[in-house]
Amino acid sequence: MPHLPFIIAAYTFTLVALGGLLVWSLTRMRRAERALEDGERN
Amino acid sequence: MAVAKPKQQRLVLALAAVAVLAAAGVIASFALQDTAAYFKAPADIAASPPAPGQTIRLGGLVKTGTVTRPGDGLELHFIVTDMKADTNVTYRGLVPDLFREGQGVIATGSFDAQGVFRAQELLAKHDEKYMPPEVAKALEKQGHPVNAS
Amino acid sequence: MAASDLHALANPLRFQRLATALTPWLLALGLGFLFVGLWQGLFVAPDDYLQGKTVRIMYVHVPAAWFASGGYLGMAIAALSARIWRHPLADLAVRAIAPVGATFAAICLVTGSIWGRPTWGTWWVWDGRLTSMLVLFLLYLGVIALTHLHEDRARGLKMAGYLAIVGTINLPIIKFSVEWWNTLHQPASIRLSGSSIHPDMLQPLLLSAVGFLLLFAAIVLVRMRTLIAEQRLEARALRRAARAG
Repeated sequence: MPHLPFIIAAYTFTLVALGGLLVWSLTRMRRAERALEDGERN
Repeated sequence: MAVAKPKQQRLVLALAAVAVLAAAGVIASFALQDTAAYFKAPADIAASPPAPGQTIRLGGLVKTGTVTRPGDGLELHFIVTDMKADTNVTYRGLVPDLFREGQGVIATGSFDAQGVFRAQELLAKHDEKYMPPEVAKALEKQGHPVNAS
Repeated sequence: MAASDLHALANPLRFQRLATALTPWLLALGLGFLFVGLWQGLFVAPDDYLQGKTVRIMYVHVPAAWFASGGYLGMAIAALSARIWRHPLADLAVRAIAPVGATFAAICLVTGSIWGRPTWGTWWVWDGRLTSMLVLFLLYLGVIALTHLHEDRARGLKMAGYLAIVGTINLPIIKFSVEWWNTLHQPASIRLSGSSIHPDMLQPLLLSAVGFLLLFAAIVLVRMRTLIAEQRLEARALRRAARAG
């Protein structure tokens, strides 16, 4: 059985899952903190 | 964020949570059954032999020097051992890459009337040791093979 | 840490400031360790004498497993703090950790399955280790679902907390399944007494693990900051509504 496709699949899933988690959490954070700042100025 | 969700949606979510819990419980009990053992060892088989035709999982080490393909070579013969007892196994089909003498194996199948275990499926089980090939070879030369059975 | 420091952390504003200062460092270091560890794992570390190249999946699978379990313990402790000591940030911590832990558990299950096919010869078995890890993932999903009961937020959080606490029984099952029962999954390679992993493989594993840990912490802090900000937005909206009304 060729090993490479399995290694690539595992690493790809890991990086996509971690990357997605990072992007999602950072986006929500920026949205919330920006709304907080905007509200404070007004 | 406080968003007023209709009572229906709240009920759905609560049901989802209960479903997840139930699933977890069902999976756990179904999968683990009575003893939570995934396989029986040769010593277990010797102590309480299963009825012929009853499907079980047999696990242990592939005894060194016992792997053969007699006759037309389509059937694999080997002995599974747990250092306390041995069981003869025959198997036709795809053999996992990691199947080899001195390594673990889990065979799913049943005993025939002659007391030979006819496997339908073979899984390779490896131990917790990881090392480069050169190290394994060096150990073997020193008389300490990585896997001995 | 002195008790006064813990009290300082209990103040959401102070915590938010600390978290804001820490986040970029944790993110940068986490990504750094992760990439160095995975680079070494993929291109520098040797093949395994038995598995060959496939062993490299270990460098993503094992850290994900460790911190999916470790994260669950943290979440349960937070839930306990919320119920017993009513620590103001504890419920937020439960909500912060759950999706991160769930993602790590998913990574563990998926990469483990991918690793199992060429080595064991199967994508999945219902043995003690694999089953208990799947239960861990489902418990995380349950906690997440319960924290989304918007109509009765407090009750949802309470139930989520109880689920998190009760679910800790699963943690020793995960750890000891491979010792107590016959399983397909092999026993632990790293114990207090030492490790059965060759140093050339252990090093990338530990580097990758540090990366995973720092990223877990970083993302939890990001989530805490988000939840605290959202909480403050909510409070402000309520105050304004009250004044207008």
